[in-house]
Amino acid sequence: MSTWTAARAVFAKDVTTELRSRYALSATAVFALASLAVVSYAVGPFGGRPELLAAFLWTVLLYAASAGLAQAFLREVERRTWLTLRLVASPGAILLGKGAVNLVLLLATEALVVPLFLALFGASFRSLPGFVAVLLLASVGLSAAITIVSALLAQARAHGALVSALAFPLVVPVLMAAVAGTRRALVEPGVAPPELKVLAAYAGVVIGMGIVLAEHVLDD
Amino acid sequence: MGEDLGVRLGRRTVLAGLAFDWSGPGIVAVTGPNGAGKTTLLKVIAALLRPGRGAVRWEDGGRALAGRDARARIGFAAPELGLWEDLSGLENLAFLARARGRAWGAGDGQRWLERVGLQGRGDERVQAYSSGMKQRLKLACALAGGPRLVLLDEPGSNLDAEGRGMTEALVGEAARETLVVVATNDATEAGWGTSCLELGGVAGR
Repeated sequence: MSTWTAARAVFAKDVTTELRSRYALSATAVFALASLAVVSYAVGPFGGRPELLAAFLWTVLLYAASAGLAQAFLREVERRTWLTLRLVASPGAILLGKGAVNLVLLLATEALVVPLFLALFGASFRSLPGFVAVLLLASVGLSAAITIVSALLAQARAHGALVSALAFPLVVPVLMAAVAGTRRALVEPGVAPPELKVLAAYAGVVIGMGIVLAEHVLDD
Repeated sequence: MGEDLGVRLGRRTVLAGLAFDWSGPGIVAVTGPNGAGKTTLLKVIAALLRPGRGAVRWEDGGRALAGRDARARIGFAAPELGLWEDLSGLENLAFLARARGRAWGAGDGQRWLERVGLQGRGDERVQAYSSGMKQRLKLACALAGGPRLVLLDEPGSNLDAEGRGMTEALVGEAARETLVVVATNDATEAGWGTSCLELGGVAGR
């Protein structure tokens, strides 16, 4: 049996159920929109402070991701489908399929958040390709890290709070590089901020770690 | 084959020193009072729960199989194994087959739904099914795709008389080609077995 075939089946199943329930997308989007609205109302545009803009954008994306992406495994446990899933798909396929779904969810959230963020805070990028590259690579790393932590804690009590707490140290490197890369794309022209190397390395390490550890993370 | 199996759940010993050697085709009934460990035993056999001691060894066609390879050949229906309620009956069947890398056509799903009496209901989401309909769909999911071992935990639960008759017929048919293990408290279902393992008591037939 091919891990890719099974991962594709898990991905298609999760996308279908998410489109019908909109459980994770709602949690993610509501948090992101609410925090954007509150801060823009309280602070107003701070277009002249690129480091604040970059830090705020990634703070919103991190907590929006934690709110929605962390549910991927918990919902299987709560709905008693976890054992069924483990019966038919290998740990690697489950992790790959759910990681891909989480990446798509995060990208969908970003497609909503980033234009609003630019409009509400009066920001514009000197290097849009550079920002898009930072956004994509950071999203891969962030969604992979949250997927792995969420899998580890699938059957733990207080799952949501634990995912946020335990994922935080793991995602600090990607967040710092993403904030630095975003700040640079706001103020400097150029296509490839140097932070892209850090983000690519981080994504590679976390995905590799997930593949190597999948059996141990999910098989008991 | 199970060797000296032992499982503790929390502080409670559920299985201790259990040994068995089964081969298919045929039906094995696993019986015992509530809490005797019937469901736990099926989960250990399906490699969904690792025993604290001992091991389950698998052979198929004379070849020893590791836990995950064995799992891929198992059909399992149990109250603890839920189906995806946001998917339709047909989508559940298709997902379970595709996740295992099995070829699956639209006709396969319809054929299995007809066999369990759910014809015409395949496009409805499972959340709209009654308890009995969900049990029928679980049986279809466990039996579809030619599993080498079928594990059924309380297969007649929530079923009406017609559904229980259908289940007996399907189990009998499957048992002509493969090993079917039925964990039950129901005397009629226990009577299907060509051999019996009684938990929490003395081994029977």
